[in-house]
Amino acid sequence: MRNISLKKIFLAFLKIGAFSFGGVYSMLAFFEKELVEKRKWLTQDEFFEAVAIGQMTPGPPIVNTGICVGYKLKKIKGALTATVGQAFTGTVLAIVLAIFFIKAEDNTLVHSITKGVGAAVLGLLLSIIYKMAVKTIRDYKSAIFAMSSFFALALFRLNPIGLILASGILGLAVYGRRK
Amino acid sequence: MVVLLKFCWILVVVNALTIGGGYVMLPMLQKELVEKYHWITNQEFLDAIAIGQVTPGPLTVMNAFIGYKIHGLSGAVMAMISSYLPCIIIVTLVAKFYYAYKDSIIVLSTFRGIKAAVVGLLGAVAISLGHTSLVDLPTFGIAIIGFVVISFTRIDPTFVIIGAGLLGALIY
Repeated sequence: MRNISLKKIFLAFLKIGAFSFGGVYSMLAFFEKELVEKRKWLTQDEFFEAVAIGQMTPGPPIVNTGICVGYKLKKIKGALTATVGQAFTGTVLAIVLAIFFIKAEDNTLVHSITKGVGAAVLGLLLSIIYKMAVKTIRDYKSAIFAMSSFFALALFRLNPIGLILASGILGLAVYGRRK
Repeated sequence: MVVLLKFCWILVVVNALTIGGGYVMLPMLQKELVEKYHWITNQEFLDAIAIGQVTPGPLTVMNAFIGYKIHGLSGAVMAMISSYLPCIIIVTLVAKFYYAYKDSIIVLSTFRGIKAAVVGLLGAVAISLGHTSLVDLPTFGIAIIGFVVISFTRIDPTFVIIGAGLLGALIY
């Protein structure tokens, strides 16, 4: 039943990668339509399992869902193919924009545009913090985690890599005890 | 060459620790790339986030932009390989042992601690980036409007960023 060529996997993920704007949920809906409904490569359950794995592994959840789907279809080759297909369009565009930015370094119009964009990125960042806080800060323990990591970085300038490792270990110590 | 290898190693470590969404990268990347090694400025870091957001695909694409700035085309390609390699290894392993991994108390409680801490880390990054990007009344206004629109409407952040670019061109 599952004899899907690497070329087909690549093309499917190229399409997904090129049209995946917007938040995680709109992207997952697009994934489902392409892979489950249209191409019938996966059952609904298999797809949900891939989404779950994508969300509980490090890295961007959408990419990880793609890797997992590729792996289910054609093992490690499928996983690599899905990743390349998904990342292709965005990477090419980012390189083109980087070339443009370096050429236009002294252009005043570009400076004004990036000034506006930089401010909007800050707004975006604040809104992400707000949404994450609503979702994850649910008891006084998680509030302490958030506050102490904030001060450790903002005031004491400790290294965030170390802070993330430390909060993982502390998370295990605090939440890891069986109730 | 040494710079490229160092840069790739940072991306491997950062991506292996990116738990709970692409934005988790930001505090780690800013510390290493801007503050520690001075490979890019805060403004370039803001540009990179914007590019990651307006281009299709995940935010990780911003690493290709940064890679190009640091080391040209090879920097961009190596940036993407280093960003995705840990994901591919970890995801395929987890896919194999999914049922053991899914209910693991160790994984669940570790992630719970990290996800809460990340909220605080991102708050600190926002303050640091705010020093660069919020310089006058219009930039404050754009940031506040952006926050409200993205938090409380269903408008895609991509359009907010493009709109802010146009506003910037008009005002300055």
